[in-house]
Amino acid sequence: MITPTAHSPPGNALVAFRSVNKSFGSTRALVDLSLQGSPGSVHAITGENGAGKSTLMHLLAGVHQPDSGEIRVRGQAVRIENPAQAQRAGISTIFQELTVLPNLTVAENLFLGREPHRAGIIDRLLMRRRAKQALDLVKCRVDVNTYCQTLSVAEQQLIEIAKGLMADAEVFILDEPTAALNGPEVDTLGELIHSLKAAGKLIFYISHRLEEIFRFSETVSVLKDGRLVGTFPTSELTQDRLISLMVGRPLGQLFPPRDPNPRDLGRALEISELVPSDTERAVSLAINRGEILGFAGLQGQGQREIIRAVAGVGPHVRGRVIKLSPDNRVQRVDLASVDVARSGIGFVPEDRKSEGLYLSLSIEQNVALGMLRQLALWRRARVRKSGIDDLLLRMRVRSHDQAQPVSSLSGGNQQKVMLGRWLASGVDVLLVEEPTRGVDVGAKSEIYALLREFANSGGAVLIVSSELTEILGLCDRILVVREGEITAELDGVAASEEEIMRYALAGAAAEASGEL
Amino acid sequence: MAVSISRSNRSGLRPATIALPALLFVALSFLSPAFLSVQNLSNINGQIAALLIVSLGQLAVALIGGIDLSVGAALSLTTTIIVSVNPDFALAAALFAGVAIGLVNGIGVTVAGVHPLIMTMASMTFLQGLALLIHPVPGGTVPDYIAGLAWTSASGVPAAFFWCAGAVAIASFLLSMTRFGLRLFAIGASQASAARNGIPVKWYSVGCYVICSVAATIAGIFISARVSAGDATVGAPFALDSITAIAMGGVQLAGGTGSVAGVVLGTITLGLLTNGMNLVGISPFLRTAATGVLLLLAISMQRRNVIGV
Repeated sequence: MITPTAHSPPGNALVAFRSVNKSFGSTRALVDLSLQGSPGSVHAITGENGAGKSTLMHLLAGVHQPDSGEIRVRGQAVRIENPAQAQRAGISTIFQELTVLPNLTVAENLFLGREPHRAGIIDRLLMRRRAKQALDLVKCRVDVNTYCQTLSVAEQQLIEIAKGLMADAEVFILDEPTAALNGPEVDTLGELIHSLKAAGKLIFYISHRLEEIFRFSETVSVLKDGRLVGTFPTSELTQDRLISLMVGRPLGQLFPPRDPNPRDLGRALEISELVPSDTERAVSLAINRGEILGFAGLQGQGQREIIRAVAGVGPHVRGRVIKLSPDNRVQRVDLASVDVARSGIGFVPEDRKSEGLYLSLSIEQNVALGMLRQLALWRRARVRKSGIDDLLLRMRVRSHDQAQPVSSLSGGNQQKVMLGRWLASGVDVLLVEEPTRGVDVGAKSEIYALLREFANSGGAVLIVSSELTEILGLCDRILVVREGEITAELDGVAASEEEIMRYALAGAAAEASGEL
Repeated sequence: MAVSISRSNRSGLRPATIALPALLFVALSFLSPAFLSVQNLSNINGQIAALLIVSLGQLAVALIGGIDLSVGAALSLTTTIIVSVNPDFALAAALFAGVAIGLVNGIGVTVAGVHPLIMTMASMTFLQGLALLIHPVPGGTVPDYIAGLAWTSASGVPAAFFWCAGAVAIASFLLSMTRFGLRLFAIGASQASAARNGIPVKWYSVGCYVICSVAATIAGIFISARVSAGDATVGAPFALDSITAIAMGGVQLAGGTGSVAGVVLGTITLGLLTNGMNLVGISPFLRTAATGVLLLLAISMQRRNVIGV
């Protein structure tokens, strides 16, 4: 069978995007983007986080609608108003955010939305039998009657995949389907994708795992900042070429330089025997002044729980956190109290919109809240405008006016305001979750520079990030977390992606998958 | 028992849910000789039938994470409609009102995005006013054929029992056998995920509010038949009582967890309390106070992480 590539004539396209645009608030998620996929092919879509990959697929899946431009399915312009319509149009989506529901059984989840029924009454026998077949397909050995809340993330992901792949559809969208899977499971997925392709289906495969792109796809489209960089036959690319297309510039320039022989400024924070929850293990670690320490690992391995426990916003069962001032005075941090912040520890949450910023307040008010932190309640809140001006200038926050509400800023500038608030309040330890999620590349390098500057001036930074390049490029020291345990401590300059993944995936699995 | 433990994930049933009414039952049969008499048991049945029907409606709304405070006022309004309109159309008018109330509540919550507490509190107040306007003083005549619905008995089994059995049968069928029921659990766990699975979340939500209001009007028909009068305030305690009953039955007010069995047990618990206090001679006002305490206890005993919030 000859597999058509991107160079096949447009008439052959099963799905075509024509100059689609999509904005969320002031963020332009997709800009004048056109691409198409032909039946019997795997079309990989890749790019950095926030490049617009998922948004593009959400248009096809009916989650969002384009602001302008059109989507054509089998040559017909269509408007897909909701996921149900997408299903009816023969488009099956495996979402990156799992849609497996915890209070439904495996079988119920597999068939939710298209339950086998007679006059509205579910045919449970048939449903269970077909669920077993579907699970066999993805080689997942769980009982179809178990409630999904008891399953691991990997098992849930397999169920999501089984659900998507057994749909009677012509177009399959797989959005980062392997985030929680290891080697053998990825192999199984590969076989399934292959047989779909042989059956003449179109598969859109979204991933930033390069190995999988080269293994599965014959065409790859690279997105960057919502624009199409280009569509290429995969065989004509090398990994290095693909990376440079994704990043758009060499990695080196993105990250501020690290001092290969850092000065010893002493400890900033000592965390001992911290247990975030009853189901998790105790961890101990220390953060030094002048360094950026990073938690690496697969998603959902407990990194987030640890950093949130230290920040005092997540639960903890027991554990001790001691903060040392530059002159080595010891201060015990009470994690149960709201005021971890008062001990000079700042926390920048992943979801800055709901947990970090006061969206309707102005930039200056958001920053001022940090400055006013030390004031007693009854003191008059006088804000030094010039101080904020300096800070915003230093941080290169791009805004028309300090008085404009934070909600009107782009993701990158919002993140800078968040950091700015903590810098203004004079903390010397920063805990940062996903420092550059949803931030464009330009702002990324500025945020990295800010964090580095903060460390160089004697502060200590702990970051959790799901982007390996970020961990590798920014951190002085890397702790790999797996199943709630720190499985390795690596030097940030010397570490490689392969090395981190080896510890993140643990022995056998890592051998099988080789590299990420 | 092993099966029921793995199933308990979605039903919300816990040992206490079952033990509480059982203990009450045993305690009352010791405390009061009159308690176990057929007359009294059938009395309890009659007293809880309306609450059970309202609570089963409340369950539909609670499963999708909503709440309906207007059930009591809808019930009161129904009794006033029954005694005020042409007897031939009394039932139809009452049911029509139920559907209309549910549509307004449901559309307000899902389409206009009003918080369910506010939306149903507003309609509660509106309906209460309307009921008082229609029929300010308790009384009036209930058509005979309607009164018969509550007072006939078949081979010694009182009509109230059939009302309860019917309501339980319909609710169980809907929840455990149909696509509709399964999808309610899905919506309650996550509206976004349910929508991505192609479920028309808004329509289902509106449907739940309609079911709840219609259940309230059916309970209203039963009450007007039982007391043979229209009373614009008779439904007042039902909002709080139905929420307390479902909470004691293990229904998570956040959505996604609950069962018909739990609602039945919760309703029986409340019914036994009322009846017991009556028999032992405790002021009925204390029963109202106790309901408030029970609601708080039931909610604080619920495992908060059932749906991983």
